[in-house]
Amino acid sequence: MEHALTLSHVTKRFGSFTAVDDLSLNIPTGSIYGFIGPNGAGKTTTIRMVMSIFYPDAGEITVLGNSQPEAVKDRLGYLPEEKGLYKTMRLGEIVAYFGKLKGMNSGEAKRKAIDLLERYGLGEWIDKKCQALSKGMGQKVQLLGTLIHDPELVILDEPFSGLDPVNMELMRDTILSMKKEGRTVIFSTHVMKQAEEICDYIFMIHKSKKVLDGTLAEVKSTHERGIQVDYDGDGAVFHELQSQGLVDRVNDAGKTCEMFPTDGTDPQQILKKLVERISIRRFDLRDPSLHEIFVRAVGGEVVDA
Amino acid sequence: MSKTMLVAQREFMENMRTKTFWLGILSFPILIVFAIFGQKLLADSKDVRKYAVLDRSEGQWLSRAVSARATQADIGKLLEEVTEAKDEDERTKLVQKWWSALTEDHPLRIAERQFGLDILSMIANPPELSDQQKQQMSKWRDQLAPGQIEELAKVAGGLSLDDYRQVQFDDLGDDPEKALSEKLNDEKIFAYFVIGPDPEESDETSAYVSNNITDNELRKWYASHATEIVRDRRIKNLNLSAEDAASIRGRYEFAQQNLDGETGEVKDVEDKEKLGGLAPIAFVYLLWIAVFTAAQMLLTNTIEEKSNRLIEVLLSSVSPMQLMAGKVIGIGATGLTIVLSWVISALIGVQFMSGKIAELGLTAIISDPLYLGSFVAYFLAGYLLYAAFLVAIGSVCDSLKEAQSLMQPVFIILIVPLIAMVFVVQDPNGTVARFLTYIPLFTPFLMMNRAGGPPPTWEYVATTILIIVSLAIAFWAAAKVFRVGILMTGKPPKVSEILRWLRAPVGQVAERKQETTD
Repeated sequence: MEHALTLSHVTKRFGSFTAVDDLSLNIPTGSIYGFIGPNGAGKTTTIRMVMSIFYPDAGEITVLGNSQPEAVKDRLGYLPEEKGLYKTMRLGEIVAYFGKLKGMNSGEAKRKAIDLLERYGLGEWIDKKCQALSKGMGQKVQLLGTLIHDPELVILDEPFSGLDPVNMELMRDTILSMKKEGRTVIFSTHVMKQAEEICDYIFMIHKSKKVLDGTLAEVKSTHERGIQVDYDGDGAVFHELQSQGLVDRVNDAGKTCEMFPTDGTDPQQILKKLVERISIRRFDLRDPSLHEIFVRAVGGEVVDA
Repeated sequence: MSKTMLVAQREFMENMRTKTFWLGILSFPILIVFAIFGQKLLADSKDVRKYAVLDRSEGQWLSRAVSARATQADIGKLLEEVTEAKDEDERTKLVQKWWSALTEDHPLRIAERQFGLDILSMIANPPELSDQQKQQMSKWRDQLAPGQIEELAKVAGGLSLDDYRQVQFDDLGDDPEKALSEKLNDEKIFAYFVIGPDPEESDETSAYVSNNITDNELRKWYASHATEIVRDRRIKNLNLSAEDAASIRGRYEFAQQNLDGETGEVKDVEDKEKLGGLAPIAFVYLLWIAVFTAAQMLLTNTIEEKSNRLIEVLLSSVSPMQLMAGKVIGIGATGLTIVLSWVISALIGVQFMSGKIAELGLTAIISDPLYLGSFVAYFLAGYLLYAAFLVAIGSVCDSLKEAQSLMQPVFIILIVPLIAMVFVVQDPNGTVARFLTYIPLFTPFLMMNRAGGPPPTWEYVATTILIIVSLAIAFWAAAKVFRVGILMTGKPPKVSEILRWLRAPVGQVAERKQETTD
């Protein structure tokens, strides 16, 4: 399989701190790859190395078949987690500027910028200054700045944060349509549901090291199945089950709950206990959620998500 | 277009839209217009000071003599200007302008009647004077000691009648001082003089009464005339011959001379040379403003990009070095545009200068390639030097507030050339000036400052090398700091930490492993 991005034994140190430790990764062309991991795990450092903002201390990075990531910078698109715009520039100008920085010529960048802005419903804002934008609109403009030069590999760092449902859907559609066009999308997120919904592959980094890597199904199959309950009532019962030693992990979200029976516990027994106390709308045994996998991978530590 | 130039172009276009840019462009022409018209306006807008004199001398001789003397001085001054007038038309115009401003009781008109002279036609047509009139005229002019007109102009600012006018009150009653004090309180007069019964003997009972204690011009002007008159009388009482009297009155002066730049011979210093010596002050001041404005722009701009979280987006397309170079070039171009606009408006401005200002040879100074060339070159050198510092400071700070503490030492350094400005101009090739010149951060300002000297050629060569070497070191350091600082968030680093970055080998800190070129 052709790879849009390959990292082999990449290490990056800042002084005595190792931010990324011996990381190897193969990202197939045309896939959607989800980067997950707690804050400070090394996601952004990894991304910055791919974007040749940082250089690795050891290891090789091959981007779009080129072992000099610098050389293909113009074929990459990057939407960082911390995104900003020049407040006094007009929308049309700033989107075109990002295009020009990626090597587009001036006229082409201008045309494409206007076209994109119109397509994304910002047509009447083309001549307005960025400072007039709401946060969501600003994010849209930043996304367009990332995509204007039709990058072959797009890296989106937390693209969904701060978006309303409509724009979230727009973002998701954009990502999916890029996949359809054969582009490769890497995106990082703290929201496991989103990752589960759209990613082909999941990669997780924790404490500078890779802990998970593979297709969603692969990742899930390596973990035991759990019970998922949709319910109404007092969730205290789950913790009682836990203290009775029937289940060992409980992720109670208030209306739904995921739990994992201890070895030898019959799920039927758990169901019996539950119906006495709460009203159950759904009860099934299924693959663990990405959330559970994430939490287990970080060793049950409190994650600052 | 290379990415560096794309960044530079954006900076330039964006800055053209800011208020700072247009204020910078416009401030200078406004300053020039003010320099040309403002002073005249200010002088014109000053009210005529009305004063009364309570003269207790015999037959009021002193106050009469002062009036006559002031009138003579004015006529002398008028003659001076009228004889310098280009042609008959201008002469007539000048005279009529003045004459129409005079009331019937004005000293000049009174003098006209008193001396039986047709002053108007006399002033207007000096060649047509009768012999007797010519004699009278030359007598007046002789009575005006050399340089007195200038002195008078200094005291009174042009003609005395423009500034001071005596008011006569016929009936002041039994207590004239009290009556005059009331007039003073009612603001009918600005001041009144009291002259004692025997001015020749002493000035003990004389007084100048006014509620304005800061503007002493009127008192000085009147006193200078009174002094001359009293001195004349005293000399006369000694029965000295006219020659002896003139000899006693004569001053001992030194003619100001210097060596001619080309021939090396001793010659009198011309007025425009005096001004030329001071011109560097204006240039240094403008240079300082320009360097400061541009460097400040760069700092604000870098911090804006940082605090707006734009850096990472930009760095995904350009390298930190391209970004830094682009910013420095773009804002440098903005600054250069402002500076060139100043030069152009100065060149245009001097075309409109007339009269005394034009005679001072401002055109020659402003269009002197030494000054102009130095100005533009030292702007670039100064800007780049300070740009290296400020772009580095900007890169490590998240907000202007954070930058302020790091900026302080830079400000203190920047102030030194301003403080030294006047001393250096007085002694452009002195020890202090030379010493300061070789401190790289001061070099551009000091060399501009010394341009009046001017410094010997070897110093131009030496400072040029010094500037180039300093720039190379400054940008090497700035680049190192910029690369690390630009992606940093949180508390700005301490100076000691920054120094550690500079010493650290590339790659140790968050830096790029290899240089890239466009």
